[in-house]
Amino acid sequence: MIHRLFIANRGEIALRVVRAARALGIESVLAVSAADRESLAAAEADKIVVVGPAPARQSYLNGPGLVHAAKLSGCDALHPGYGFLSERASFAKLCEQEGITFVGPRAETIEAVGDKLAARRLASAAGIPMVTGTGKVSSTEEALAIAAQIGYPVITKASAGGGGRGMRVARSDADLQDSFDRSSQEALEAFGDGTLYLERFVERARHVEVQVMGDGAGEILHFGERDCTLQRRYQKMMEEAPAIALSEATRKRVHQAAVDLLKPLNYRNAGTVEFLFDPDRDEFYFMEVNARIQVEHPVSEMLCGVDLVQLQLRVASEGKLPLKQSDIHFNGHAVELRILAEDPTRDFLPCPGRLAEWQFDLSEPGLRLDSAMHAGALIPPYYDSMIGKLLVHGPDRAAALNKINAALNAARVAGIRSNLHLLRFLSAHPDVLSNDFDTRWAERVLMPQFLQAN
Amino acid sequence: MLTIKPQDVAALVEAFERSSAQDMRIAAGNFELQLSKTATGAQSWARRSSAHEAGSDAVAVAASAPAPSQLAPARSAAPKDGPAAVATERPAVSSEPPAGHVFVRAANLGTFYRSPKPGAPSYVEVGGRVYGDTEVCLIEVMKLFTPLIAGVQGVVREVYVTDGALVEFDQPLFLIEVDA
Repeated sequence: MIHRLFIANRGEIALRVVRAARALGIESVLAVSAADRESLAAAEADKIVVVGPAPARQSYLNGPGLVHAAKLSGCDALHPGYGFLSERASFAKLCEQEGITFVGPRAETIEAVGDKLAARRLASAAGIPMVTGTGKVSSTEEALAIAAQIGYPVITKASAGGGGRGMRVARSDADLQDSFDRSSQEALEAFGDGTLYLERFVERARHVEVQVMGDGAGEILHFGERDCTLQRRYQKMMEEAPAIALSEATRKRVHQAAVDLLKPLNYRNAGTVEFLFDPDRDEFYFMEVNARIQVEHPVSEMLCGVDLVQLQLRVASEGKLPLKQSDIHFNGHAVELRILAEDPTRDFLPCPGRLAEWQFDLSEPGLRLDSAMHAGALIPPYYDSMIGKLLVHGPDRAAALNKINAALNAARVAGIRSNLHLLRFLSAHPDVLSNDFDTRWAERVLMPQFLQAN
Repeated sequence: MLTIKPQDVAALVEAFERSSAQDMRIAAGNFELQLSKTATGAQSWARRSSAHEAGSDAVAVAASAPAPSQLAPARSAAPKDGPAAVATERPAVSSEPPAGHVFVRAANLGTFYRSPKPGAPSYVEVGGRVYGDTEVCLIEVMKLFTPLIAGVQGVVREVYVTDGALVEFDQPLFLIEVDA
């Protein structure tokens, strides 16, 4: 049983975990940096520990300091949230060595799925289709030879990480010649490893991912899929469930693929398997496993009526899943939009500062705001600029989008620049309403139109 | 005229911490001290303190309400059962040292040790003299011990933390009266 939980994160996910713990009668100790002493999560946690100065490297990324604080404050478990150290295998290992239950997968699992090439081998062993791709590619000459085999367009990807670093599309030999070294250099700078691999590029790609939860002993449940196709430079803007671009048969296949991939690993706790879906061939391809709870997990919570963070804590606490696949039902449609302290008219420049207004009318049923913000709150300049997630649940997609657009129009955010205008624009866009977009639509269509209108 | 030394304030704070009282206010001459364990009390202190700032050379001690985090509801620092007591035991210290004094603060989070090894004499005692490079304590993180140096020349007037306690980043550990 978890008695006292250490939370090694900040912002809305820290608040989310504090509340989930409280609902289960678990005490919470929140790690804060010197810049987050006044945060809402700090106010609601049973106790806070100032782990370091504002920069994340010395606070939320200080693994030994965090585990030390967890131990000395009498915690028996640690929730890493997302980002920061959530997928650092060495951190999970340190927790276990010090007798603290890590609320997440085992260290060796994080390691196994964290390396993309290793993850591709796992997917291959589980018989899951992948975009025709390659092993490690280390030179432009090698890349050109491989591209000739698999056919253009191709995309380069970093072996050691994501977030768009090292990713470039090449439509010809000239493109590839031009971009390969730059991509490799980018990957080297971002992840300390310049190794790339090549994949066939899907033109009308959609991003579909499956939410899973494992008991660590081979039992894996899935909570349906999410469609996160609406992205800008590989940063998700809108997430929804279900993915209506999938046929019922393909949907069943993608759920099964996620379960089949993680079952041999005896996967423990929450995870997401990401796929690229090609609507032209009705085929999906494995992309990667995210061994953590994700930002967009509430979409699946609203679809299934399950609290995934509480479930994470129960699985960590009891070592078994308190429900069966047949207990999980999918209802209606859920949509999430990410609210950022960024100015979309100035190339998404981060806009930290003090919030003068932060007003959302959530009185309509089916609306939910996951945020640690309030009027008067200071958004520090040191961290991610996401300040909230607005969620809606409706009987169908049209009703959900209509409701979220109305909620955005009534919302007031002042004191800083945010992407609220852009979210209003996008949630009423005809292409979004007709589900006619791909992973590059935001850059190609949405942003030029938005910038022209503003 | 009544002179209030930092030690006197520390003694009052300690007595208040041990008592079940939620608020305490002491006024003597141009000295005023208000201590509170509640959010409302802390806020009223904040207002009062800014109102009095101009006319008072009081020893600036806001006791239980130095860190904004303590304005939070339901954190009256009543130690819960179990080892959390180690961490909750954080004596109330003002956010600013009195005139002519400086704090030696924790450079990082960790476990505080007053002596180089168990049973050995403390690095420094109250009344002892320190120089810029005098080691005053050890801070341990995962068996990694880092000595902390005084950084100033003067006399140790307070030790705020007990041996073996968890100290947070930037927490005042010692009060040093700086040589004039």
